[in-house]
Amino acid sequence: MANHPDSDLVPYVRGELAPADRERVARHLEDCPECREDATAVRALLENLARSVPAPPPIHWGRWRAELRARLDGRRGRHAWWWRPVPLALSASLAGVLLVLAILGGPPRPTGSDPASVEEVLLGRRLELLRQLSLVERLDLLEDLDIIGQLDRLTATSEG
Amino acid sequence: MELSDEALCRRVAERDEAAFDLLVERYRERAWRLAWSVLRHAEDARDVTQEAFVRLYEAAGSFGGRARFSTWFYRVVLNLCLDHRRRNRWWRLWARDEDEAQGGGLLERQPAPSHDPVDQLGREQTMSALWAAVDRLAPRQRATVLLSVQEELSTAEIATVLKCSEATVRVHLHRALKTLRQTVERR
Repeated sequence: MANHPDSDLVPYVRGELAPADRERVARHLEDCPECREDATAVRALLENLARSVPAPPPIHWGRWRAELRARLDGRRGRHAWWWRPVPLALSASLAGVLLVLAILGGPPRPTGSDPASVEEVLLGRRLELLRQLSLVERLDLLEDLDIIGQLDRLTATSEG
Repeated sequence: MELSDEALCRRVAERDEAAFDLLVERYRERAWRLAWSVLRHAEDARDVTQEAFVRLYEAAGSFGGRARFSTWFYRVVLNLCLDHRRRNRWWRLWARDEDEAQGGGLLERQPAPSHDPVDQLGREQTMSALWAAVDRLAPRQRATVLLSVQEELSTAEIATVLKCSEATVRVHLHRALKTLRQTVERR
């Protein structure tokens, strides 16, 4: 006989099938001794299993509750500083301060990790000297004049 | 009037500690029994049941109320158990069940008494072998058998817990019982 209601046997035995399905399975069982035997075996197996469910070991519920409480407290604490709702005024002030710092932030500083940026900053510090280049040149000239001014001393020395 | 589980869960979502304590009181035994049945390890079952109640406290707001609270909570417990088994499957190959190692029998609750002691012994051995076979079933088949036989959930409720169709639950049950029958018939 085709279409044995294999997977319907458990719900049939447990009385879970809709009336139409129950009737269909019942009719099939009347004509099919193999399925009838299966249904009997399934019923016996379910009853035996239900009667012999292994009991879990005893547990100390007081200790279990204390551990649960500690776990809950720990979980709450884990979210503490960033997760807890901050009062609105404090949040707004903090946001304002961060905004001002972002806008008025100072010039970029060398990070130490980038040699090129360090070099740029050192060159920047020498810019003031470059602006006064004419004075520097004149200083060089003055040094020369100083030598020129002492030329007669050099001549006297060479003669002596 | 006693509040329903669903009403208590809604209160837990509003951080009502008393409601949480009540739900713990109502469900701790069931959670413990299911977790131990799946894991067969007392310390792991202890850990999983506590975690399940922490999840309940944290996620009570996500309980939509479409299913019964018990079904929703069984789902939380069972998912944690299956995750735990997945995470520890390699370890379990080496460190077998401490409960079994300590000589604890699978059957503390005995089947219907028999007048013949020999008959009784044979029956106990058969039942022991049967439950050992349940332990060896594929995780989803095993969960289906436990929820059906132990927790007495209907096929529709099991489908909700396992997040699958009723037809799938029926197939799981059919295959699981077929395997278990073969175990009994071989003895």
